[in-house]
Amino acid sequence: MDERQVGSLTFRLDLSQPLYEQILKQMRSAIAKGEIALGEKIPSVREMAHALKVNPNTVSHAYQELERDGLTETRRGQGTFITTSRERVQQFRRELAERLLADFVAQMQSLGYTWDEIEHCLHTKKKEAAVHGRNGGAL
Amino acid sequence: MGETAVLCEQVEKRYGANRALDGLDLTIPAGRVVGVLGPNGSGKSTLFRMITGLVRPDAGRIRVFGEAPGWRTNRDIAYLPDRARWYSDHTVQQAFRWAETFLPGFSLEEALGLAEFMKLPLDGRVRDMSRGQEARVMLILCIARRVPLIILDEPFTGIDTVSREKIIDALIDRVSDGERTVLISTHELYEVEALFDLAVFLESGRVIRSGDTDELRRQFGSMHSAMQTLYR
Repeated sequence: MDERQVGSLTFRLDLSQPLYEQILKQMRSAIAKGEIALGEKIPSVREMAHALKVNPNTVSHAYQELERDGLTETRRGQGTFITTSRERVQQFRRELAERLLADFVAQMQSLGYTWDEIEHCLHTKKKEAAVHGRNGGAL
Repeated sequence: MGETAVLCEQVEKRYGANRALDGLDLTIPAGRVVGVLGPNGSGKSTLFRMITGLVRPDAGRIRVFGEAPGWRTNRDIAYLPDRARWYSDHTVQQAFRWAETFLPGFSLEEALGLAEFMKLPLDGRVRDMSRGQEARVMLILCIARRVPLIILDEPFTGIDTVSREKIIDALIDRVSDGERTVLISTHELYEVEALFDLAVFLESGRVIRSGDTDELRRQFGSMHSAMQTLYR
């Protein structure tokens, strides 16, 4: 696992997983978390390829997908920018949360937990977190 | 579908009893970086020599940008052979001047930039150089050319980590430029595998697996683990 810094962004690339997906996922989450500001310019494909030491085609593929998500905009002759629409980023963040939640519920149910039990688990977890501090505490 | 850079159909090459290529089928699309991988003797260097017309197939068909390999297709190819050496009495500057005269598409400006980047003294003579320095000269003669096909046979052998990173940076630039196909054979996968769009695995003169590297990663993990699985 290699950690690589590109401007304010940190990427962790694992050569045993598809690189395109890792770059896309980490860019999406940086945008959703607000690590890159609205309207901010992102590195060019070439700069990103150099910084990550990956094929420019891989970066370009990830950038196309971000644009399809509506998270970035390309301005001709100027480069690629994060969308200026706060609403779009918030909606994307909700979609990400929705997906995480659906995965969590599906996995709990596959272990045989009922909705009431899942709710109970979450309450217990919340109390533990309050006792152990803001990071949710050690397991 | 885009243009095809290299096409091989049932290509065979024998050296005595040894079948260097044994019914090789391969299609390499233009504009991609391709890792040509496999153990020693699997046919990588023979394939490269055949693409550059140095070796003719005993049977089968090979095409480079739609033509049979020859002097015409070679103008479009920069080839770094395995164990390449340069004239020992030349300085780096002389080597570059030679290249400017004889190698189509050679850019002196790029070569000088790369030499500075790789810390090669221009007045240094090849005979006084370390293996790593000479390897860097050979590599620059290759990648400073603006040609559609670059073939690098074991470009990292004898080259230290710092120089490798510089070579990789130079390659990323070449690929960013646009339509350029790069074939690389290497045993030093770690630094370079993130550069491959496609990988081709050879064994005993045949392709045993090929595909998009991200697809292969999904199946095997890194190209290094793919090698370990495929050549067990």
